[in-house]
Amino acid sequence: MTESQTAAGASDNRERLADLLIDVFLLEPDEFRFDLKREEIETWDSLGVVAMAVGVQETFGYHFTPEEAMGIGGVADIIHLLTDKGIAF
Amino acid sequence: MSDQPRWSGAELLAKASAPVAVIADPAVADRIADLLPWPAYDHFDDLPDDVATLVAVGGGVLLDALKIARLDRRPTLRLVAVASLWGSGAEASPVALSLDGERKVVRMEPGLLPDARAVLPTLADGLPARLARFGCGDAWSHALEGALSPLGDESVAADGAALMADMLTAGLTPSPQWFDLSARACALQARASVGLVHGIAHTLEGPLRADEPNFGWGHARLCATFCWPVLHLNAHINDKWARLAQTHRLDRAAVEATLLALFEPAAYDRALPRLETLWTRVLRDPLSRTNSALVRRGHLAHFVDRPFL
Repeated sequence: MTESQTAAGASDNRERLADLLIDVFLLEPDEFRFDLKREEIETWDSLGVVAMAVGVQETFGYHFTPEEAMGIGGVADIIHLLTDKGIAF
Repeated sequence: MSDQPRWSGAELLAKASAPVAVIADPAVADRIADLLPWPAYDHFDDLPDDVATLVAVGGGVLLDALKIARLDRRPTLRLVAVASLWGSGAEASPVALSLDGERKVVRMEPGLLPDARAVLPTLADGLPARLARFGCGDAWSHALEGALSPLGDESVAADGAALMADMLTAGLTPSPQWFDLSARACALQARASVGLVHGIAHTLEGPLRADEPNFGWGHARLCATFCWPVLHLNAHINDKWARLAQTHRLDRAAVEATLLALFEPAAYDRALPRLETLWTRVLRDPLSRTNSALVRRGHLAHFVDRPFL
């Protein structure tokens, strides 16, 4: 994979993640930021964790373990975990 | 699996601890008076103080109300639940629903599970075929959504697949075996969760009843009608349904044909405008959020465009 392809994939993945989390947490598009924390999002409760895990698997093909899903404190943690699994952001 | 005892009619007569009292839905009260020898009462508040066992006979609404009354007001009273119609599985569930205005309130506590459930097969006699089908739809949606739930494990999936194989053999006509199938389906989903079918039913039921009080809207009818469109959507989003059927050798085509047979076009046509206006509420419903596939804003188009027909 070339550097430009990786960059394009990372850009696509950021967009896909933003679209996903807007739907998972029922946000308005202008409410979303990549530095959002869990405590800033009312719908990021235990059911939100379940929905997020389902959505991440459908979108990126990686299934969070329950420990990973419960330990996520913000959007940056999701990116960090997925990056560790080889998904470029 | 639940440890709740399952009694036959004979076992109910032998094992219920005296003194026993009965509260039965008015629709079956006369038949219950012929079957059970104990005094009957209309309301929980009417029960004498010395009653040790309450035998509750009815559908989900009555059974849930008595489960809540027992837990909150007389927790030492033994409760034996007898379903007069299958579908809700209230007789086998630690969950109880009550209405707060138009809104359904869900409670889940171990103390809500009846001490035993009993099956009186003769209650299936004379059930209107239409109501029986709605109940089958409710049970099918419990089985499917439980088996595919993201909160379930492999044992739930395996038990769900085995249950659905048994449900296929029962067909969609009134039969006493549906009392046990329905209880199994409800106990299955209690180990995991339900999903979008129930999110839609819970959201739309009150408003549709208010719109058309005489159409016969109810939870089971909505489950029966939306089970196939929702499974079709879920199968479009991910491969969980295909993998479940393949892994457990479940006849996927037969299940899907059954759900299509439960689909009621006239009810769907009448419910769709409300689904469109209340879609955001459906997305926010806790039951929708444990669907086997992530339900997204854009998925409303699936219900409007009807690719499942």
